[in-house]
Amino acid sequence: MLPDVLIANFGYLLRGAVVTVGLAAATIVPSAVIGMLLALAKVFGGITVRAIVDVYLYVIRGVPLLVLLFFMYYALPYSGIDVPPLFGGVLVMSLYFGAFMAEIFRAAILSLPRAQWDAARSLGMRRRLMFRIVIYPQVFRLAAPPFVNTCILLVKSTSLVSIISLWELTLAGREVAERTFAPLQIFGGVAIIYFVLCYALSRYGLYLEERMRFAH
Amino acid sequence: MNGFLARYLSVFLEGALVTVELALAAIAIVIVWGLVVAVARLSRVRGLAPLAGGYIQLMRNTPLLVQIYFIYFGFAMAGFGLSGFASGLLALCLQNGAYAAEIYRGGLQSLSVKQIEGGRALGMTPWLTFRIVVLPQAVARVVPPLGNQFVLILKDTSIVSAIAVGELTHVGKLLSERTAATYEIFFVLAAFYLVMTSIVTTLVRLYERRVALLL
Repeated sequence: MLPDVLIANFGYLLRGAVVTVGLAAATIVPSAVIGMLLALAKVFGGITVRAIVDVYLYVIRGVPLLVLLFFMYYALPYSGIDVPPLFGGVLVMSLYFGAFMAEIFRAAILSLPRAQWDAARSLGMRRRLMFRIVIYPQVFRLAAPPFVNTCILLVKSTSLVSIISLWELTLAGREVAERTFAPLQIFGGVAIIYFVLCYALSRYGLYLEERMRFAH
Repeated sequence: MNGFLARYLSVFLEGALVTVELALAAIAIVIVWGLVVAVARLSRVRGLAPLAGGYIQLMRNTPLLVQIYFIYFGFAMAGFGLSGFASGLLALCLQNGAYAAEIYRGGLQSLSVKQIEGGRALGMTPWLTFRIVVLPQAVARVVPPLGNQFVLILKDTSIVSAIAVGELTHVGKLLSERTAATYEIFFVLAAFYLVMTSIVTTLVRLYERRVALLL
């Protein structure tokens, strides 16, 4: 039995996959920036800043991504804020995954040995220089493997925007499955495409972990 | 807000009940299924370890939503259709079982062989060594990350709303299409999820504090 329907529609699904990759890429960058800012605020901020960040992290971690997407899609237009779905989807996902990245970066910052800070200070480095050439390079290296794992979760989560009718791989799959009545083939094919994307990422994460072993 | 809540509270509670049922059933199955997969992954039986490894990779690298669609629409077309609830539960267990298996494996592998050798050297039987040396430490290491996974399961149940299972998120979606009170709906929805996830998180924290000495 050949998956004829899947083969006939594979090009269409691949176009969806391109959008998925674009969505993921457009989300990873801002969520990394948000994550780093939150982590810095949590480690170096005063009591007020830390409390605000804590509330933010608590809410984001306790509420499903889909509910946040629905909020953007259903509730915001009521107050006249009409967010274009594509922009809104990327924004909500960035805010959501930023909270998870924050934890990764915070752990990496805290796991730097105290001596690194002291040494940089005693060499007379200013704060800026210290962060640029001592702290950030090591933090990025330490954070890289869990960061890649979170990116895998992020790629998988982009499928949720199909529920708020943003066209990407999963919605392309739904369209084709409804038209052809071959859901096993089509969603099987969609799963394979996601698998290829995420598995490549996870191999890269393993490679980074291997490299990390020689770093310390 | 108060009027709204009073009017629709029972509807929300009904949805929350379905969410809790789904999450508890998934958690109970995942606890067992994850252990089965982890043991298979570590076993020396020919073929079993790569099979379990392949399963874990497949599940961890494909989205839950696509698995739900595959099971819900695909199985029906193949002649053995499952209800929305059963499809969602099956997908939740398959996906999270893979994550739980990795957690179990990490917990078992993090124990040093010397602990077992020490127990044996004291004249304990293998079973006694396992029961009073290995098991308590393994459990102490595995429960906190498993608890975090349970929070994710609880949140992931919202995705089952995509196939119209009447859980909390679906209730919220229906209400926001029918009423104009979308803000109220989403604040109530978020509050429900926050309460439920906080309960799980608090239980895990309490447990972590109790077993801190074992780690």
